[in-house]
Amino acid sequence: MNFVTFDASYVSKLRAGDAPTEQHFIAYFSELMLLKLRPRLRMPEQIEDVKQETFSRTLSLIRSEGGLRHAERLGPLVNSICNNVLMEQYRVSNRAETLEDEVAERLVEATPDALSKVISEDTRNLVRNVLAGMNERDRSLLRAVFLEERDKDEVCTELGVDRDYLRVLLHRAKGSFRTVYSKRVNMKNTIETAGGSRPAAL
Amino acid sequence: MTHEDALQEMAVERYLLGELSGTSLESFEEHLFECSDCAADLKTGMAFIDAARIELRTPVRVAKPQVERSSRWTSWFASPWVLGPALAACLLILGFQTFVLQPRLKLEVAGAQAPAVLNPLVLANAGARGDSVPEVIAPEHGSIVISLDVPTIGGFSSYRGSLYAPDGSLLWQTTISPEQARDALLIRVPTDTTKDGLNTFLIQGLSSSGTLEDLAKYRFSVRIQK
Repeated sequence: MNFVTFDASYVSKLRAGDAPTEQHFIAYFSELMLLKLRPRLRMPEQIEDVKQETFSRTLSLIRSEGGLRHAERLGPLVNSICNNVLMEQYRVSNRAETLEDEVAERLVEATPDALSKVISEDTRNLVRNVLAGMNERDRSLLRAVFLEERDKDEVCTELGVDRDYLRVLLHRAKGSFRTVYSKRVNMKNTIETAGGSRPAAL
Repeated sequence: MTHEDALQEMAVERYLLGELSGTSLESFEEHLFECSDCAADLKTGMAFIDAARIELRTPVRVAKPQVERSSRWTSWFASPWVLGPALAACLLILGFQTFVLQPRLKLEVAGAQAPAVLNPLVLANAGARGDSVPEVIAPEHGSIVISLDVPTIGGFSSYRGSLYAPDGSLLWQTTISPEQARDALLIRVPTDTTKDGLNTFLIQGLSSSGTLEDLAKYRFSVRIQK
């Protein structure tokens, strides 16, 4: 994910229907909405519906008469609209399921592209290396929390650690992973946009 | 929520662990949609967790311990097939030294140190009678004493005594001073420095110019008693 700045120029291009800008906008916020919605909606179709509806309403609002007055508020706008659509989705499905303390199954893309496949294997290798650098207790802790989905307080008590230890463990593991992972993702994005007329990051 | 708040509270980790709820959740998500740094961090964290779930399913492979084979040429020393016989040989040698050689040496030393009356083999007139060769029975690992006269003519600076084996090979040599040569010479000869059979003792005079001159030759027969 590239670091971006949503400024007036970006919003202006979005309002004008500039295709690359729109593609970037959708790609960027799709990932965020997926992270937001996965704990909340079990069905992949529901997640996709909420995403599509959010984009539709956001772009409509941007292209409306008043438009978006403060370009830097584009992100919070998308979040706010997403929340509204989500509430509507809950009402429609008549279920108030929230999965704040449960992690959803990983969504598998229908047709992963070749680069994604490569990165996935690469990602697994990176993660394997990070896990190999941990002691058995830390691996057991992560296994219990993320794979077995056991109660976190119970697991921490069992292994003789507290919740702060768990957070720090995750922070360090993520940090070790991120150092190499970010480079590879940026490389992927650069390759994907190499043929385009404008850079991905603004 | 500001970015500093998010960092201080480890909001990304809390979000990944599902520890945020209510207003804190809403506040962080709003921040997430406007902060590309936290957004990237969250995405990375989720990618890590997704992959970790797969990897954590796989039991950790423990490599079969590899017995390191030393490639050094000296490694064969450590082989039991070599060490065993080598140890046995060492014990054998040690036993032979302890139970055979040392008692024998002690006996010989004790014999040498004990007072004893000497019966020298007198070779004084051996040169005069060519056909009579005196015989001496020499104890094995013991010694004999020979007595002979050194011809003190010619004014030599010193004399050399040499013992030759029956085959003519030189066994040993010794220097005799003019003072020693004045009287009958007594020489203690270890049996080990002689040979069984006819031995010859040669006396030579050493001149001041360094030349040697044969003066007398004494022959005697040695019979080593084992």
